[in-house]
Amino acid sequence: MNNSTPPHVVELRDVRLQFGEKKVLEGVSLAVEPQERLVVMGQSGSGKSTILRLVLGILQPTAGSIFFQQYEITRLKRRKLQQVRTQIGMVYQYSALLSSRSVRDNIALPLEELTTKTRAEIDRIVDEKLEMVGMLATKHQMPSELSGGMKKRISFARALVMDPELILFDEPSAGLDPVISSVIDELIISLSEQSKVTSIIVTHEMDSAFRVGTKMAMLYRGSIIEVGEPEKFKQSKNPVVAQFLSGSTEGPILEGTNDAIATK
Amino acid sequence: MAEAIPETEENRSFETNPVVVVQGVGQMGRSFLAEVGGMFWFIVNTIAETTDNMRRGRAPFRASSFFRHSARAGVGSVPLVAMVSFFLGLTMALLTGYQLERFGTERLVPGLVAIAFTRELGPLLTGIMLAARIGASFTAELGTMQVSEEVEAIEAMGISPLRFLVAPRMLALVALMPCLSIISSLAAIFATSLISVAYFNIAFVYFNDLVLSSLLIRDIVTGIAKSFLFGLLIGAVACYRGLSVSGGAAGVGIATTSSVVTAITAVIAFDTVFNVVYVVFFP
Repeated sequence: MNNSTPPHVVELRDVRLQFGEKKVLEGVSLAVEPQERLVVMGQSGSGKSTILRLVLGILQPTAGSIFFQQYEITRLKRRKLQQVRTQIGMVYQYSALLSSRSVRDNIALPLEELTTKTRAEIDRIVDEKLEMVGMLATKHQMPSELSGGMKKRISFARALVMDPELILFDEPSAGLDPVISSVIDELIISLSEQSKVTSIIVTHEMDSAFRVGTKMAMLYRGSIIEVGEPEKFKQSKNPVVAQFLSGSTEGPILEGTNDAIATK
Repeated sequence: MAEAIPETEENRSFETNPVVVVQGVGQMGRSFLAEVGGMFWFIVNTIAETTDNMRRGRAPFRASSFFRHSARAGVGSVPLVAMVSFFLGLTMALLTGYQLERFGTERLVPGLVAIAFTRELGPLLTGIMLAARIGASFTAELGTMQVSEEVEAIEAMGISPLRFLVAPRMLALVALMPCLSIISSLAAIFATSLISVAYFNIAFVYFNDLVLSSLLIRDIVTGIAKSFLFGLLIGAVACYRGLSVSGGAAGVGIATTSSVVTAITAVIAFDTVFNVVYVVFFP
């Protein structure tokens, strides 16, 4: 390995995924550098969230390789994969907090299950993470008592609790009003800078994507069609990227789809 | 041959082509075997993941989780199991008593009910009641967690859902089933004692003697061994169905129904197999 270039935190090499006859990913290659915030954009159902599940090893690709640091996720044994997952935090679209456990217990869960820390140590870490996301006051509340934005922040705290190297965000601002959406974006930026963590953010919300991203990738029909810095991305000549960014109904994206019929 | 049968409204709903019928039966058999295999590996993987943690000197799951499920599955089921068994014991004692009274052999009633419940009906009825009450609850709970991505979130943290979610539930059912079977048998025997005293002039002391002299240790051991097996079956079916849910709220409903039906059928089928094996090898 060349020492002058930093090693990739995550690398996908020609990843293909097929469910029966349906091809979801058709040769996706991507690399994420340390402390980068990569935004993966694309239409609904294009396979953006699937990429996150592949990185976590929850889904297995039909072909290709996925690396996280020095580990090839696709070849890891169950036990090792579970260990590697502790270095990856995941924030789900609808937070996925355990509804039967309090906020404190949700955040403490990986510490209780995977470490030998004492209760006092766990409480100190939970308080610290809740403080980081500004939600310390909700420590003893149940998830059902919280709003969507609050749940999202708690799930950030849960993703950070094991001090991961990488955080995966699945539609972090989906279903939130514009103000809370901006707050969440600011939180992603500040957390990734404070914790020096690498992030992959999946979204199709343009404002949010350009606010948080340090690198952008566009997924279209199972392939990455453009990767680059946000500024370069905005000036892309690719008609698909241009149409996606402008939100226009005219262009190649809707051609031959049911949505095209609906717009006529 | 397939071409010979015209495609009409009548033969569209009922397939008459024997090749297609055999194909259908084959497919059903294949999916049945796949289900059985899936459930078998589900149990094996749960045990493997749980013991894996123990080998590394860690508790397999939190004791509080086990006790919570035990209280729900066991303590919470005591009134239902005791009441149903009590009423069935009453009915059984009355019906058999009146028949046997015609031959002057009503003193056989206490032994008959005691053996039937200790060896057969106690575990079987408890199994059916727990499959309906607790199996459905476990499936619905895990199914809801599955559709709301909670199970995946647990997996993404590096925690095994089999160890964290399934093992304490299964162990709670395995540990509590024998206790509930014993409660079921005691409730039925108590009901029989009331009928014996009230209708057949059998005093409590004599009733006790009749029960104790007719019950063998092997009847009790058989009943308890079956209970362990039924507990494992109900727990495995309920959790397997719960974690296999897909398709949102409707999927949870379908899985819950399927869990209850599968668990009850499996309990009755295994009871039959157990009895056949027992009678053949330990006559």
